[in-house]
Amino acid sequence: MATSPRTGGASGAGTAQRPNGTSQNKSCQFKLVLLGESAVGKSSLVLRFVKGQFHEYQESTIGAAFLTQTICIEDTVVKFEIWDTAGQERYHSLAPMYYRGAQAAIVVYDIQNQDSFQRAKTWVKELHKQASPNIVIALAGNKADLSNIRVVEFDEAKQYAEENGLLFMETSAKTGMNVNDIFLAIAKKLPKNDGANNQGTSIRPNGNETNRPTNNCCK
Amino acid sequence: MASKQESRLCALTFFAKLHPGDVCGSNGLPLTPNSIAILGRAQKLKDLQDEHLCQYLDVIRGKHERTIVVSEFMGLSLEDYAKRQHPLALGQILRIFYQVVRGIDVLSRHHLVAHNLEPKHILISRDGRQVKLFNYGLHHMTKGGCYVPFPIGNIRYMAPERVLGLNGNIKSDVWALALLVVELIFQIELWPKLKLSNVIRKILAFGRSNGVLEKIAREHQCYDRYTALDKELRQLLESCLHVLPKKRPLPGELLKHPLFEAIASEMSKENELLESLEKDPVPLLMRCPLSQIYHLWQLAGGDVQAELKKEGLIRSEAPILGLPQIVRLSGVSVCPGRSQAQLMDDRVVPLRLQALLQRLSRLPANVYFPLLHSPRFPAQNARELQALPLVIREKDIEYQFQRVRLFTRLLQGHPHTAEQLQREALVDVPPLLRGPIWAALLEVVPNGSYWKIDKYTATSTDRQIEVDIPRCHQYDELLSSPDGHRKLRRLLKAWVTAHPQYVYWQGLDSLTAPFLYLNFNNEELAFLSLFKFIPKYLQWFFLKDNSAVIKEYLSKFSQLTAFHEPLLAQHLASISFIPELFAIPWFLTMFSHVFPLHKILHLWDKLMLGDSSYPLFIGIAILRQLRSTLLSSGFNECILLFSDLPDIVMEGCVLESQKMYEATPKSITHRQHALRLHTVHDLDIGVDDVELKHLQQEQCPRISAKDVLHLLLNNPSELALVDLRSIVEYGRVHVPHSINIPFATVQLGEQRLEALPVPQLEAQLRGRIVVCVSNIHQHSVEFSHFLVACGIPRTCILHKGFNVLHSIEPNILISN
Repeated sequence: MATSPRTGGASGAGTAQRPNGTSQNKSCQFKLVLLGESAVGKSSLVLRFVKGQFHEYQESTIGAAFLTQTICIEDTVVKFEIWDTAGQERYHSLAPMYYRGAQAAIVVYDIQNQDSFQRAKTWVKELHKQASPNIVIALAGNKADLSNIRVVEFDEAKQYAEENGLLFMETSAKTGMNVNDIFLAIAKKLPKNDGANNQGTSIRPNGNETNRPTNNCCK
Repeated sequence: MASKQESRLCALTFFAKLHPGDVCGSNGLPLTPNSIAILGRAQKLKDLQDEHLCQYLDVIRGKHERTIVVSEFMGLSLEDYAKRQHPLALGQILRIFYQVVRGIDVLSRHHLVAHNLEPKHILISRDGRQVKLFNYGLHHMTKGGCYVPFPIGNIRYMAPERVLGLNGNIKSDVWALALLVVELIFQIELWPKLKLSNVIRKILAFGRSNGVLEKIAREHQCYDRYTALDKELRQLLESCLHVLPKKRPLPGELLKHPLFEAIASEMSKENELLESLEKDPVPLLMRCPLSQIYHLWQLAGGDVQAELKKEGLIRSEAPILGLPQIVRLSGVSVCPGRSQAQLMDDRVVPLRLQALLQRLSRLPANVYFPLLHSPRFPAQNARELQALPLVIREKDIEYQFQRVRLFTRLLQGHPHTAEQLQREALVDVPPLLRGPIWAALLEVVPNGSYWKIDKYTATSTDRQIEVDIPRCHQYDELLSSPDGHRKLRRLLKAWVTAHPQYVYWQGLDSLTAPFLYLNFNNEELAFLSLFKFIPKYLQWFFLKDNSAVIKEYLSKFSQLTAFHEPLLAQHLASISFIPELFAIPWFLTMFSHVFPLHKILHLWDKLMLGDSSYPLFIGIAILRQLRSTLLSSGFNECILLFSDLPDIVMEGCVLESQKMYEATPKSITHRQHALRLHTVHDLDIGVDDVELKHLQQEQCPRISAKDVLHLLLNNPSELALVDLRSIVEYGRVHVPHSINIPFATVQLGEQRLEALPVPQLEAQLRGRIVVCVSNIHQHSVEFSHFLVACGIPRTCILHKGFNVLHSIEPNILISN
C-alpha cells in the first residue's frame, strides 16, 4: 500500500497533506540516532535497514554518518533521518549534537559483550536525562546470529528494557533478523500527529529542502 | 658480477588450503583466506638479501587460493648440475656444502628454517662458482605447511625429528644438507627404489643406530668410499647426521670448522682474481637491484600469470565442472574431486628479461647512474614527459626507470640531498620507492628507538584497537593478512605508548595504514613516518580533549571555503551544512578514512610537500569538485553525498588543492594550534591573537600586514585593498591604489556590488585578493560578509586594521 513515490515540490515539514488527491497518506519525518559501544554493529544495522546489505568488514565510523530510509505503516509514510554515531567513548562529546532533538534512538549492544551492555545502559540513562522527554528508545541486542556464544542473556536485557520503558529486540545485521522490525516498531510507537515533525534539532534547524521521491516503501 | 649477469627471475605456484565452506571465526568474521595469510607472511622474505639466497620478489594471489611466488633464479639446480658434471670433484662438493651452510646460517640468524633442502632447491651458477638457496621460504610463508594441503620438504632428506613432527629447528636443515652432501660424495641416490612408507621406516630406524653415515654407506654398497673418506670430513658429516639434534652443530658453528675456513679463504682469493680479470661487461640494468628490475619487467607488460599459463601451470577449466553435485540442507556440498589442474606442480617458470634489456639498452649510462651534482644534471630528457598526466607517467617504463634511478640516488644521499629530493618529489613520486621517499620528506632518521618502545603490555585502549584493526582497509590483501593485523597493532600501541600526552582516537588506525602498507617490511620506518606526520599536520588532534583544536580547524575550514568558494560557502551555511557534520573524519584521518588506499597515496604525495594548512585546501577541492551538486541540493542530499563519498577524481583534486595552496597567503591559514616552525614577526598574526569566537563570527579570514606588504611590493596586481575609512581619513593617508569605500556611506542590505557608489567595482576586485581595511574591525567584518554574499572570492580582513600599516618601515602610505 501507499507505494506511489512522493513527488517533490511541497516543502516544509512534510506533514502537509498532498494537494493532489492522495489525502489519506500522512507523511512524517523522524530523526533517529544510533548509540552504543564501538563495534557492536550500529553501522551494520543501518546499512541492513537502508540498503539491505551487510559488509563483514564494515569500516569504523568517525564522527557520524547520515542516512535516510522511508517506510510505510498503514496510511502513513514515515521517513527516518538516521544519524549513525561513532562508538568510541572519546567521541562522546559529539553525541548530544546528534541526539538532541531526536525523536527516536536505538541503543545497540553486542550480545557477546557484557561491557557493551553496560555501556548501553549508560546511554539510556543519558538519553533519559538529556534528550527530549518524549524520545522513543529501542534497545537492540545485536549479533544475535552468534547466540551460541552469547554473554548477555535475552531475559536479562528484556527485563531491563521493560523496567525502563524501552522497546527491545535481539537483532542480527548479518542475517537481517529483526532489523526492519525494530525500525517498524519504533515507527509505530512514534506519534504521527502534526506535533511529531518539529525539527527541533540543532543540526538541522530548518527543514526547508524539497522532499525527494521515495521509492522504498514497505508495509 | 658474473653471477649477476645470469641471474634472472622465475615464478612458481601452488594452492593454499581452502577453508571448508563459509566458516566464521569466533569473532563472527569470516576466516582469512590462507592465501592472504601466506601473502602477509611472505613479505618478510622479500627483505632477505644475501649472496647465498635467491631473493624473493613478489607473492601474487590468483583465483581459488592460487599463490604465485616470484623469486630470483640463476644457473642450474644442483640436481641438473650434478647430472651434467658427473661425478663432482670433492673440492667442488665442499664449496657447495660451504655456500649452502652460509645460506642456512643467514636463515637461522633471521629465525627462519628452510626445511625443504633438496637438490632442486640449490642453484649453481653456470660457471659452478656460486651457490644459492632457492624456494627456502616455503616453510615460513605457509606457517610450517599449515596453510597448504601438501607437506613441506622431501621426505628423503627429512631428519628423524621432523618425521616425528618436530619442526622449526635449523638443525633439521643441517641434517638434510649433510645427506645431500653424502649423496654427492658417495655418488649415490638415497633409497631410489623404496616406497614412501619404507623411506620413513629407514629414517626412523636411524634412531637406533650410532653411525648414520656408516649405515648409509653400507646400505648403498659404498663402505669402501666411507672408509676412504678424509677423517676430518667424515667426522664433520657424522656430527651433522647425529640423531639427536642437540648434538648436531649449528650452521654458525659449522662455518668455523677448519675445513671450511680453508675453503673460505680459497674462494675469496679466487673471487678477487676473477673480478680483476672480468672482461665481459654486464648490461647496466643488471647492476640495478632485482626489485627494481622486477618492477620494470611488470611495467613493460610482464604478466606472471600469463607466463604460467604459457607453461601450462595455470589451466582454466569450465566453471560448470566445479559446481557441486549435491548440496545438503545443512549447507555441505559434494563437489567433484579436484581436477589435475589443481594438483601441486613444482615446476619453475623463468621470466625472461631480454625484451626489457633491449628496451632500456638505448638509455645512456647517466640515466642508470645519475650524477646529481654535475652542472648539467637538470638537463634531463624526461622533462617533456612531466607534462603528461600522472597515470600515464606511472605506466611509462622509461620514465619510471629514470625516476626510480634518480630517487635511489637521492635517497642514498639523504639528508644531504633533502632539497633536491623535495624538488623532484614535487614533480611526482615513483610508486616503487614511495615509502622511503615519504619518510625522507618527513625528515625521518631511523635510530632504532622503535624497538625500545613497549608494544606488548596491556593497556586500556587495547580493546578499541582490537576492534578497529579488522575493519581498517580490509579490502587490501596485505592489511587484511594476520601479519598485517599484528603489525598495525604493534604500530598503534607503540604510538600510544610513545605519546603519553595523547590518546588513541578512532581514525588513528586509518592514518597509520598507508605508512604500514608502504613500509610493510620496515615497521620502524612506518612508525617514524607516522611519528613525524602527526605533529606536522595534526598537531594536538589526539589530545584527550581535542574539541578546541578541532573547532578551530573546522572554523578555519569554513573561512577558507568562503575565501575560495564564496557562493558555495554561503549556500552551505544557509542550509546549516556545517563541517562538524562531515569533515571530522576528513581531517582527523587526513582523508585516509574516506578514500581507498590508492587514492590516498596520490593525495599524500602532494600533502607531504605542503605545510599544516594543505589538508584544508584538499577539503575545499573536494567541495569544489562537487560544487554544482551541492549548490542544487538541500541538507539531506548534501549530507548523504558525503556519507557515501562519490568518486572524487583524485588528480583534479590534487591539482586544485595545490593551486589554492599556492595562491593563498600564509597568514590566511593562521591557526593557534598549528605547529609553528618560524618565530612570529611584529607584522604577523600573533599566536593567540585570533580566538575561536572570532573565527566563528568572521566569515572571512584575516590577513597579516606582512602578507599585504609582500603583495603590495611584489604582486600589486594581485591585490585589491578596500579602505573603509571616511573620505577625510583616506585623504590624510592611504595605501596607493587602494579603493576607498567609506563604511558610513554603504548600505549593506542589498547584496549587489552595483548598490555601492563605486563604478566598475566588480572589475576592480575580480581575480585579486580583496583586503578589507578599517580602523573599526567590525566594519571590515560586516563589509567582508557583504562581499562574500555578492560572491566575491578571496576576500579577507586586515588583522589589526589600518593602523598597523603605520608601523611598516619604510613607509608605504601616501597622502593626497
